[in-house]
Amino acid sequence: MPEPDAHPSLERFVELNGPSNGAWGELSSYMVSLLKAWWGDAATEDNEFCFHNLPRIDGDHSHYATMLKMLDGGVKGFFAVGQNPTVGSANARLQCMALSKLDWLVLRDFSETETAAFWHDSPEIESGDVRTEDIGTEVFFMPAAAYTEKDGNFTNTQRLLQWHHKALEPPGDCRSDLHWIYHLGRRIREKLAGSDDPRDRAILDLTWGYPVHGPHDEPDADAVLREIGGRQADGSFVSGYEELEDDGSTACGSWIHAGIYADGVNQSARKRPHTEQNWVATEWGWAWPKNTRLLYNRASADPEGKPWSERKRYVWWDAEEGRWTGLGDNPDFPPDKEPDYEPGRRDRAMAAIRGDAPFVLHPDGLGWIYAPSGLVDGPLPVHYEPQESPFENRLYAQQQNPTRQVFHRPENPYHPTDGETGAAVFPFVLTTYRLTEHHTAGGMSRTVPYLSELQPELFCEISPQLAQERGLEHGGWATIVSARQAIEARVMVTDRVQSLEVQGRTMHVVGVPYHWGRRGLVTGDSANELLPLALDSNVHISEYKVATCDIRPGRRPRGRDRAALVEEYRRRAGVKV
Amino acid sequence: MSAETLAWPGSYGGDAKPRVGFFTDTSICIGCKACEVACKEWNRIPESPQGFTGKSYDNTLDLGANTWRHVAFIEQRVPADADGGASLVEAAERGGLVEREGLATSKEGDGVRWLMSSDVCKHCTEAACLEVCPTGALFRTEFGTVVVQEDVCNGCGYCVSACPFGVLDRREGDGRVWKCTLCYDRLKDDREPACAQACPTNSIQFGEVDELRERAEKRLAKLRGDGQSEARLYLADEEDGIGGAGAFFLLLDEPEVYGLPPDPVDSRRHLGAIWAATGAAAAALGAGLVAAVFGGR
Repeated sequence: MPEPDAHPSLERFVELNGPSNGAWGELSSYMVSLLKAWWGDAATEDNEFCFHNLPRIDGDHSHYATMLKMLDGGVKGFFAVGQNPTVGSANARLQCMALSKLDWLVLRDFSETETAAFWHDSPEIESGDVRTEDIGTEVFFMPAAAYTEKDGNFTNTQRLLQWHHKALEPPGDCRSDLHWIYHLGRRIREKLAGSDDPRDRAILDLTWGYPVHGPHDEPDADAVLREIGGRQADGSFVSGYEELEDDGSTACGSWIHAGIYADGVNQSARKRPHTEQNWVATEWGWAWPKNTRLLYNRASADPEGKPWSERKRYVWWDAEEGRWTGLGDNPDFPPDKEPDYEPGRRDRAMAAIRGDAPFVLHPDGLGWIYAPSGLVDGPLPVHYEPQESPFENRLYAQQQNPTRQVFHRPENPYHPTDGETGAAVFPFVLTTYRLTEHHTAGGMSRTVPYLSELQPELFCEISPQLAQERGLEHGGWATIVSARQAIEARVMVTDRVQSLEVQGRTMHVVGVPYHWGRRGLVTGDSANELLPLALDSNVHISEYKVATCDIRPGRRPRGRDRAALVEEYRRRAGVKV
Repeated sequence: MSAETLAWPGSYGGDAKPRVGFFTDTSICIGCKACEVACKEWNRIPESPQGFTGKSYDNTLDLGANTWRHVAFIEQRVPADADGGASLVEAAERGGLVEREGLATSKEGDGVRWLMSSDVCKHCTEAACLEVCPTGALFRTEFGTVVVQEDVCNGCGYCVSACPFGVLDRREGDGRVWKCTLCYDRLKDDREPACAQACPTNSIQFGEVDELRERAEKRLAKLRGDGQSEARLYLADEEDGIGGAGAFFLLLDEPEVYGLPPDPVDSRRHLGAIWAATGAAAAALGAGLVAAVFGGR
């Protein structure tokens, strides 16, 4: 997204945001095609294709940055769409407190999640720290349709898009996200109709004419996919991102998805069985970009274009035909670029990529271990200890990542780390993870009887040694304490969790799945109540996979005694809040 | 040809279909429980929450009227050199990491093995449940499977005690017996059972029993060749106490480890001995009565 000062023009934006070589060298084509998809005929060369209609980003608006700003009263309203941060985000208590500072909160979900109920049912209300009548946030709960109740695509981490067809109408007032966004936009446009305020052009000129159907005027998801997939000026569909132009003759809502509607067919809806095609299965769904199942697959051939191994051959150079060919996957390389191709000095974009350089998104076409650009804390991978660690970093004098984002504030206290006074108060390593039976923060699984009964309660997993050391009984209860909160969990003593010998000391690990909260068929404390905010500077999510904690037998205290227990730990550890 | 049963294929004549069943290859089960959920969804089985059991990740515990697929989780300590390979711990120690670097994960050289296995009704060749059923609610289908007709079952419970695996069970509040039908309704539509379709690793394989047994033998040979000396087929042998099963298993350890009976026998095979014992008891009782009535004089 453009920044207000650094990106005064489309040209400057392109210049600053993509390397001139490799696939990113055509960023201007991707940008102009995107602007044409969004603003259609209103986007012309004379007005920089409506580049100035794009909202300007004025700072870090990642999730945690937004929640911290909210906590300080700097955010008025918040849409949580299928998101449950009071269970799923680190420092759950902080998330809950932040929500109470909003003017309004809109939620879209299948059921009233912990986030939706934060104003009348939260750990803070249970303990008496917060009272409902003191929360000024107005909460709007919008029931959402399930995936079986709407058309659309699943995208997985293989980049594969698999279309699902609506099987039945959503019940009651439940609607799809597409329905909600489309009709919200439609109503805003109706309110603005006739406005001559220039700032309203960005909304009034949008291509918002999606056909609707059915009893609830459901927008046509297929029409949205066609816009994403890209078209030529004559209305025909593009087959890949190379066809996009920066002269306004093509429109494409997402360059990486260019071609998903090639030949006028919803390519992601193809469901040819694996028995009717080879194992590459290119006719099941569609993978971005250009239905490429294995990215950078030119690397499966040696520099001369021959398979590294005949047995494992995948994509190779057919010298006779003068083309890359293979088992059926899209060769992720210019189709007729010879293996010995060498660019000239003036070549740019894809023409600047050598014939033996498969990594076409990098300006040199090579895979990188040494990453000179793109990362805040490169160029090489290193090991740092997490924010809270019981050990010193044996590899570097630098204990923790110096570029990590830390937030020293009363709602987010950190533990002393190895070597600091009080570190022994939180002597164990805490790690959180998922179970197969539950989905993330539980809104889609703790509400389903058949899944809930399979993992009905929050538990912690510990080694037999730790159980012995702390008097913890298998099947009994334990209280796990950090400077943020104290939670309770059933005890699972298991050989799967092993005590570690590190730097001459025995280290015990406490493992806790994170799916539970106060709502749904099966309830329990949230593991994220224990964790602090300490973020990676590149992607602004937790920089750690572990923190430190203490564990003790028995259930946690109720009411104000819970906070008193945490306070006692903070005092003993010398935690400053 | 898989073993003939009393009612299949003979009584079906030309309508008999090839006998189908499950080959559950536990060596590739990942414990996702998708089979349990798919089974309950398709067959509309009531929920059956048991709470937190503490039995590893198994909160289902056993098969029953409301559980027709059950995934067992068994945590085993295994010696470091079991299965021909060293555990990570052993390997690290051999590498001298402990002495040189002070880096090690050690627990007296032990490794841990986590066995997972999806259990189901065995659809026995000699199915005692079916033979003892007085109403004919239990019957052998044209596919060679064993099914309870819920509209005929009167809940007498004879089959419950007859089953050598403890599969049959009466539903609370309903009284009738419910168990795996091998998705009889789906079979009639040429579709595989819900559990087999949902299984992401093909640990549960559905097919014609003869073909499945061949597949199982090949898989066993492969695992044995790879050093899994304890690997074995369970209920694939027609000579066993139930004449082999339509649903059989590849296990990585003894059946008892998985909570399965090591040598199940069709309870009807004991009928002769039972009647003999009953006769002897009756004779003794009669003699006693005679003695009681006449002895006093």
